[in-house]
Amino acid sequence: MLYLLILPAVLYFIIFTYFPVLNGFRISFQDYRFIGASKFVGLKNYIEAIHTPGFWRVFGNTLILGLSNVILTAFIPMFLALLLNEVQFTPWKRFSQTIIYMPHLFSWVIVGGIWIFILSPNSGLINILRSFFGKPSIYFMAKESYARTIMIGVNLWKQSGYVCILYLASIAGINTELYEAAMIDGAGSFKRALYITVPELVSTLKVVLLLNVMGALRIFNQIYVMRNEVIAPKIDVLMYYVYDRGLAQFKLGYASAISVIVFVITMIITIISLKLIKYKI
Amino acid sequence: MMRISASRKLFFVINNLILIALVLTMIVPLLNVLAVSFTTDLESYENTIKLFPRQPSIEGYVTLFQRVSILRPFLNNVYVTIVGTFLHVIICSMAGYVLIKEKFFGKTILVYAVTIPMMIPFEMIIIPVYITVKHLGLMNTLWSVTIVGVVSTFSILLMKNYFEGIPKSLEESAFIDGAGESTVFFRIYLPLAKAGLATITIFQFVVKWNHLLTAILFLNSPEKYTLQIALKSLVVSQELTSTTQSVANNTRMAGIVIAIVPLIFVYVFAQKYFIKGIMIGAVKE
Repeated sequence: MLYLLILPAVLYFIIFTYFPVLNGFRISFQDYRFIGASKFVGLKNYIEAIHTPGFWRVFGNTLILGLSNVILTAFIPMFLALLLNEVQFTPWKRFSQTIIYMPHLFSWVIVGGIWIFILSPNSGLINILRSFFGKPSIYFMAKESYARTIMIGVNLWKQSGYVCILYLASIAGINTELYEAAMIDGAGSFKRALYITVPELVSTLKVVLLLNVMGALRIFNQIYVMRNEVIAPKIDVLMYYVYDRGLAQFKLGYASAISVIVFVITMIITIISLKLIKYKI
Repeated sequence: MMRISASRKLFFVINNLILIALVLTMIVPLLNVLAVSFTTDLESYENTIKLFPRQPSIEGYVTLFQRVSILRPFLNNVYVTIVGTFLHVIICSMAGYVLIKEKFFGKTILVYAVTIPMMIPFEMIIIPVYITVKHLGLMNTLWSVTIVGVVSTFSILLMKNYFEGIPKSLEESAFIDGAGESTVFFRIYLPLAKAGLATITIFQFVVKWNHLLTAILFLNSPEKYTLQIALKSLVVSQELTSTTQSVANNTRMAGIVIAIVPLIFVYVFAQKYFIKGIMIGAVKE
């Protein structure tokens, strides 16, 4: 009976996780076809990937976007949490917390749609403000030079409230005696934040960094939604490349080889960062 | 008898100014979207800052439901969300219950079997999952987007945590009375883990409501489209790329509003479970 209760979950993982992982590995060594026999081609797909400039370009984009996301969405929310923590008026504190968490609930279609509208050349909020100050309108989404900044900024807008709540919860768990002792010693609120709160937040910071690192190479939805042909060379990422080569151009073996490469890199980076931040599971 | 120093006051002012600016960067875009969604077609193209429509109108919504026919994808999304969330809650809580049992044959293997998938990002297996779904004959069905992603390690572990907090004495007396595992699970454990069930329900609700990647992969005919993929072509159509840009801003923003409203509704009513879930998630992952 016990086994029957866990059977659906295990069956699901076998069909939709374990089998695909193995199958993907196998396909990466094949010239895969839906119909007819697929030929094993050895390392051909991997060699092709390494020699394709397009692969290295999306690889570079992924590193730039991923690294920026990892760092910014770890430290800026920490700063915000420290500021929020100094607010004495509870309803205002709770209200601002509620509001900044909200974008995390929205899908990337929604967030992308909102920002493409706000950045649009004519009726967009930013350009209306610019014209108010007598500046010319800029078509932000059609400028390569703005593309990465916009992607990183919008990601920060979406995620920072969520990360901020993690920090606030961990601040709430700090022993208040520490603060009382510091106040008796005459430490001001700035010193208390710097010498008590920040060190106590280091363990949360590690978790956040780890989550960010594991997510860094997975970026897909945001780019799928916000890309256009003009800015694509600056922002197309690995997972978009896999989707495009695999399911739009049906080079399934080649796309699988790239998935395997990214998967291995993710594992390596995760293990290294686990070691670096000395995270104990 | 607190004496507040000048520097303290200055900090207080600066701090609140920063927070006000922050809250505004979150709220103003949303108000702008809401206001534009209720403008007339003509007004929605005007170059003025709109935080409130000058002539409130539902033209945008009318176009959205009549010409863009968003109703079908919206209902498809409701269906996928409800069925998917229900299955998720049942399957994950059953699995979580099994994991709290004392040693039994094969427990270690089962624990690994349900935990390892957490390390395997879905984005990295889209090609083989696509092939699996194709072989199962689920391509272009609502079942494909309902089933893929229906089980998550996160929810299994979260339910396990909740079940562990329930005193063993309750189940012992039930077993003595001759109850089986399934009776104990459904009659004792499930009713006592309401907070856990609420947490995974709302989290899965949000995930399913927002699902995009599975829809991109598995759905290819408009009558099967779910909300996000239907909105994608509408909402993010950029003048630059689309040749048939004939939908006014108010309609595009109306699309965003109808996708947001259910989420805000859930968020407002279940906020405490969100915070709880976030914390457990960060500790567990």
